[in-house]
This record gives sequence, C-alpha cells and structure tokens, in this order.
Amino acid sequence: MAGATRSALVDEDTTHTDAVAAVAAGLATLLFAVGVVALFDVVSLTDPIAGVPVVTLVGGLLVLLGGAVVSFGVGSRLGFVATDPRPTAGLIAATAFGLIWFVVGGLVASQTFGLGTVGWTAAALVTGGGAFLLTALPREDVGSTLPAGAVTLLAGLVFLGGVIGPSWAWNLGWAQPASFTAGFVVPTLTLFCALLSGWASAKAYGGFGASGRHAGAYLLVYLNALAIVGVLFALVAFTVVEGLPGLLREFTVGLGAGPESTIALFGSELTFTWPFDWPFVMNGVGLLNDVNGVLPAIVGTIWLVVGAVLFAVPLGVGAAVFLTEYAERGRFTQAVEVATNGLWSTPSIVFGLFGYAFLIPRFGGGKSLLSGMLTLGFMLLPLVVITSREAMLAVPDQYRDASVALGVTKWQTIRSVVLPAALPGVVTGVILGVGRIAGETAPILLTMAGGVFVPGSQTADVVGGFEFTASPPFVANPELLQATSALPYQLYALITAGVGASGNVGNPDQFKWATALVLLVVVLSFYAVGIVTRYYFRSKLHE
Amino acid sequence: MSSTDADYSGWQTALRRRFRRGREFADEAGPSALATVLLGTGSLLAAFVGFLLVSSLTVVPVAVFVVTAAYGYGRHQELTVRALTLATTASTILILTLITVFIFVEAWPTVEYASVEVFGVSVPGLRLFVQTNWDAVSPPIRYSMVPMIHGTVMVTVVATLVAGPLGVAAALFLSEIAPPLVREVVKPGVEILAGIPSIVYGFVGFTVLSPWASDQFELLGQGTYLFVGVVVGLMALPTVVSVAEDALNSVPESMKSGSLALGTTDWQTMTSITLPAAFSGVSAAVLLGVGRAIGETMAATVMLKGVPKLTKPLYNAFYGQETLTSLIARNYGEADGLQMSALFVAGVILFITVLLISVGSQYVEARMRSKLGGEA
Repeated sequence: MAGATRSALVDEDTTHTDAVAAVAAGLATLLFAVGVVALFDVVSLTDPIAGVPVVTLVGGLLVLLGGAVVSFGVGSRLGFVATDPRPTAGLIAATAFGLIWFVVGGLVASQTFGLGTVGWTAAALVTGGGAFLLTALPREDVGSTLPAGAVTLLAGLVFLGGVIGPSWAWNLGWAQPASFTAGFVVPTLTLFCALLSGWASAKAYGGFGASGRHAGAYLLVYLNALAIVGVLFALVAFTVVEGLPGLLREFTVGLGAGPESTIALFGSELTFTWPFDWPFVMNGVGLLNDVNGVLPAIVGTIWLVVGAVLFAVPLGVGAAVFLTEYAERGRFTQAVEVATNGLWSTPSIVFGLFGYAFLIPRFGGGKSLLSGMLTLGFMLLPLVVITSREAMLAVPDQYRDASVALGVTKWQTIRSVVLPAALPGVVTGVILGVGRIAGETAPILLTMAGGVFVPGSQTADVVGGFEFTASPPFVANPELLQATSALPYQLYALITAGVGASGNVGNPDQFKWATALVLLVVVLSFYAVGIVTRYYFRSKLHE
Repeated sequence: MSSTDADYSGWQTALRRRFRRGREFADEAGPSALATVLLGTGSLLAAFVGFLLVSSLTVVPVAVFVVTAAYGYGRHQELTVRALTLATTASTILILTLITVFIFVEAWPTVEYASVEVFGVSVPGLRLFVQTNWDAVSPPIRYSMVPMIHGTVMVTVVATLVAGPLGVAAALFLSEIAPPLVREVVKPGVEILAGIPSIVYGFVGFTVLSPWASDQFELLGQGTYLFVGVVVGLMALPTVVSVAEDALNSVPESMKSGSLALGTTDWQTMTSITLPAAFSGVSAAVLLGVGRAIGETMAATVMLKGVPKLTKPLYNAFYGQETLTSLIARNYGEADGLQMSALFVAGVILFITVLLISVGSQYVEARMRSKLGGEA
C-alpha cells in the first residue's frame, strides 16, 4: 500500500509488557488449534492428556487466557503498562460485545436458571446493556479487553466446573428434534473465545489506539486468508487421499504392459501398445473386467468440452470484436452487455431446463451428446464474450492507429494487430471457462446423461461416427445423438444410486472417490494451465 | 401535452435519421454487396426458423448461408465481417430471449392449473404461493413453491453470512494487505476454489459433513440447510472475492496515498477511505455471490433430504428439505406433464430472481464507475 511501512525508528523496543500480550496471543493460537481438532473429532473430549480430560484442560487454558487479557487491560488502565489508548473502544466494538453478552446472559438465565421469557429477556438486556456500556464508556484499553476476557473466563469456568461436561446436551425441543451436544459446543466456544481474546491481545500488543486496532484487524484478516487456503488444501488433500487407491488399482508401467490401440487415418492404420496399463481410466464397467473404470465418462467429458468450445469461441470472439471495434456505444451495446452478464449469472440448472425444452425435441427427442455440448456452449458463451472484450479493450489504441495509418482496412487491422495482441487474454479466459463447464453437472443432467455404470463399448467415437445419408440433412452422426456419460454426471449418478445398485464394481466407495479424483484432476488441470498461461504472458509483457 | 409532442417529433427525427443512414449505406455499398448481405441475413433467419420448427430441411438455408458468407468474405470483406460479427453479437441477446420464452412457455400449464379465484377474478399461479402442500402423486394433485422458496432462502442466508464477510475480508487482504509473494499464492488458491466442481463439494459434504452434523446435533436422518449453506457459501466465496477485489483495486491510488500521508495506519486508510469509496462495488460483489448461492444445484441436491416440506419450526436450519434448484435436479427424471411444468416454474423463479440480482449489481457497479471518475 503506497509503500508506507513502519520503520525501525518508530518501533519501540519490545518490553516485558509486549511479552505478556504475545503470550496471550500464543495461548489463543494454541486454543484455536485445539478447537479445530476437537471439532472434527480428531481428539475426543473425554480423552485424557497427561492425566487431565481435554474439557478440563481446555477450561483451564481458557481461564488463563481470559485472566491474561483482563489483567493486561486493567494493568494498562492503572498505568503499569505503557500503552496509547483512545478515550473509547468505539461503537462497533460496543455493539458486538453487547450482542455477545446479550446472548450469554439470555442463555444462562433461560437454560441454567430456568427463567421464563420475561426473566431471560430482562437478564439478557441487563448483561448486554452492561457489556455495551462497559465497552463504550471506559478508556479503550479497558473497553476492548474486559468484555472479551470475561467471556473467555466464563467459558473456561463453565468447562472447569463441569456445567458443560462431555455428556452435556441441550435439546432445543423443536418439532424436528435437534440438540447442541458438548461435542459441538465445547470446540466451537473454544474457537470463538480464542478468536475474541486473540483479537483483544493483538490489540494490546499494538498498544491500543490506531496501531492497536491495526494489529487486531490484521490478525483477523490474516486468519481468514489462512482459513480459506486451509479449507482448499484440506478438500483437495482429502479427495486425493481417498481417491488414490481406487485410481491406481493394478496400475502397471512397462513396455507392452498396456492395451493395444489402433489409430486409423486416411486409410493407413497405426497400431501401438501403451507403455503402461491404467485400468481405471482405460476400462469401462464390465462383468469380465478385473478393474472397472470410467473411460466412457472421460471421453464424454472431453467431447463435451470440445463441442462447447467449438460453439462458443467463434460466437463469443465475434461478438467481442463487434462490440469493441465496430459498434458505437448505445442502446444496442448496452443491451448486449446486460444480456451477457445476465447469461453469466443464470443458474446452471436453468440452462439445463432450457436445453431440455429447446434442444432435445430438435435433436431426435432423446438425451444426446450434441444437446449437452450446445447447452454447455450457451454457458461458456458469456464468459468468452466478457474475457475477450476485456482483452481487446486492453490493446492500446496506438496499435490500431499505427496499422490504420498504413492504409489497410479495419478488418485487416483487427485480424493482424488487435486479435494477436488480445490472444493471450482470450486464451486464458477460454481455458478458465472450460474448467468451469467441465465440472458442471446440472445442465448435462437434463440434456445428455446416460446410465450409472457405463460399459466400455459405449465410449463415444465422434470422429468415426460421421456418415452421409440420402435424405436431408444429408450428414448424420449417431454418436452425437446418443446419450453418453460425463465425469460429473457419473459421480452424481454413483452418489444417488445407493449401495445396492453398485454390486458389480467391487468396492463402490473406492470407485466413487476415484471418480471424484479423476474429475478434480481434469478440472484443476484446466485451471492450472489457464493460470500458468496468464503468468507466462504477463511476465512476457513486463520484459 | 407538449412533452408528448416533443417525444413524438424526437421519435420521428430518429426514424428519419435512421432511414437516411440506411439510404447512405445502401448507396455506398453498391448493389452486389447489398445483395450478399441481404441473402446472408435471409438465409440465416430461414435457418433459425427451420431449426425452431424442427425441419430437416434446415440444412438448405445453412448451406446457402455458408456459401454466401464465403463469397462475401472474398468480394466484400469489410462489410461481410461486420455483418457476421453483428450476427454473433445478436446471438447473445437471442439466447437470453430464447431461454426466457422457452422456460416461460413450458411453465405455463402448471401456472394455469394453479389458478385461484379472488373476488371472481382468476389469478393464475396464485395457489403455488398460498398453500404449502406439494403432492404430485395422489389426488388432489397440488404443487407449491413455498417449501422450496423457504429452502432456497435458508440456504442463501447462511451462504451469504459465510461468503459475505469472509469474501470481503479476503478481498481486502488480496488487494491491500498481502505482501506480493503471499498474494501470488492466495489468489490462484481462491481461483482454484472456484474451479472445484460443485458435485465434488457435494460429495464431500454428503459423505463427511452430513453424517458428522447428524451426529453432532442428534438429528433424525441427514441433510441440513445449515451445512448446505456453509458449503454453498464456500462455493460463492470466490465470486465475492474476485469482484470485490476488482472494486477495491479501482479506488485511485492517490486517494489512499493522500490518507497515508496524513499519518494514518493502513487499517485506518482501509476503513475510512478505501472501503467507503469502493462500497458500491463491494456490495455488488456480495450481491453476485448471493446470485451464485441461489443458483447452486448439485451440492444441495446431494446433501438435502429431497422431501418438499417446510421445516418445523420455520427457522429450524438443522433440517434440509428441498431448494428450488434441487427440486429440478431430483425430479426431472420421473416427471412429465404438469409436474415437469412445475419444475419449469421453479426454473422461472430462479431465472427471474438471479437476473434481477445481476441487473441490480450491474447498476450499482455502473454508478460506482461514474462516481470514481472513470478510473475503474
């Protein structure tokens, strides 16, 4: 940000007071980690660590953390700690703490003391209002630490005192029953208190005031970014770990290990043997197969993408050329802009419905590969228009002027100057768009999907399927007009088919996860290629 | 009165001007070029009509069009290219129009079936929204959109609570806070998060999250709006992040530098300069995220119970019945006639809602662009 950073001259030396705040922040981090692992049952609440049950341990740590935060705030107020607080912690913090304490007071009054609606509302108002005033009225050092530390202290005492033990549960008493159990409440409360106290101690570490707020906010923002990357990593890692065994079943490498393939081109045939055997991606589903695979779905996905790109890219790039080079800004271009953005945000299932109503009756009345291609093409089109337009707008006008000055026509300028310069942007946009449509399930659900377990013989052979006929339309391709499978649909069908239908693939769970992994690899490799292309062209641009 | 006169004459001059421009164009282009363009346009229209009417003779005008276009490219290159690109541009509007027409036409039978008389006037489709019973099998056959609208609202609210704050914070991080190296890691990460297919999210949710939730909250069966909302929120997150980041980046650097020069911290600059200046763009981002969440299908289909009912009590997010999207994805197979048409009604509701959101966010963004003086 404008290169403005705090230099070493401005920083004061780290003192023992900073160390106290840092210890509190460290405690909060530790508790945060414990909360995460406990939430997903990696650690059971009743397991003892060093002879102490986890609940008690967590309670003790929370009390320590809360105590540290409170004592830091009080110490700062009494002048033992050198800080730079403002007169008040601010209305936002006051409202937040007021709401938190409103909920705490209400829950304690209604659940622990069993008060009625009037009773708990009154109690909640008293605690909430008290916390609001406590945050808003005193100086910032007290206002932003005391309410946070007190929540943490209270939670710790509740866990320590066994009010919420491992077998605690709170039945909400709804018509469709649901209850909060200790297994959920203890980790969640721990996470929440750790966040709150962590924020307060980061603020204290920054010495309150403007730089304290800066520290507190940065802690939360960094945590958020970390959590997003963490979720992404966990999701991908989980799928890889679960999917690899199925994917690599009986995978062998070696000369002549794989099946034979024949490529026929212009009458000459070329037969070769694959140097590896990978049954999961080379087989369909069959009774005689040792390992069943998803070859038809992979081939279906590839053809889908090819068809959608062939349909959408010429249309989209053409539209982008017209909009950026030929059209004057007016009603028409505005309408096109609204239409493309509208198309871009239209839900995929609506495209599916449209394909079902519009395309299927026009291609023989049944689900077909061609309908799926066009439906996905409709989805891809707005993305191609938007990204191509951006890429063309980014081409500097000097390029065009220089070309026009040579006396060539507009189209020659576009073809030999604008399009080549815009190509990287267009290509990147198309690749990223393809990644998105390759994983779409909803549109092809209604337009092209075939069976759950597809035998290898049903692998679509579009190139070999073309034939000439005597009646209009003279060219036919039965392969294009057949239902076939694609990876996302296959996964959906496997999930909904249940256990009973999947007897003939051996280990159905392994099969599902392996399918999910193949899908993930296919889609993410499109993204990887797209992102790498972008970096490549960008670095060339900066040379 | 005078204003309508002015409108009328303005409209007349516009028409006259257009006519004159057409004349000039025809004079300039010459008869051969004109004939080529007219033939091309005519054959393209004929091909479109033939396709609409499911005629196998559609191939004839298509062939004529291809030949005309090839001839035109050879003889009248400039004009032909212009006409061709205009045709491709019109196709985006055409597709949106076709979607609108077709799903409305298919939805109409159920809307008509669900007519209710109010004070002697028959209001089509009213019963879809005033009663909550969906029964497609046993008479009286009733269709209701209320449970699905409820489900979509529940999921969208949870998803927005997840995607909104986290997305805006992540956008702030990427555009203002992150050091270049961290940014280069996190930004592709967010993009990849958008790339993971929704069915994979749904599968992980179905096999991991649903049983876990049902265990933690002692629920009967699996499927909760709460966790479908969390998963859908994760999916909507990248949309929010990238659009909000664009908005934050479009705040002129001079504004930020001016604030920093006054001695504020980075965070103060963000909260009092950057965020307020980019507020409309950031809210457009959240709005687009909401649109994404409403339209998300597969995760909801796989994770929900699939029984079109309201939850009891209404705010019970621990049970997940059905959303508008999952209704379509789950029932298209065995549905026909009125029930299929009812699915199209759900599609129409989705389509209109999301289109309104999209137009609204575009309006907000356009306003922001004009406010920041075209630097966006």
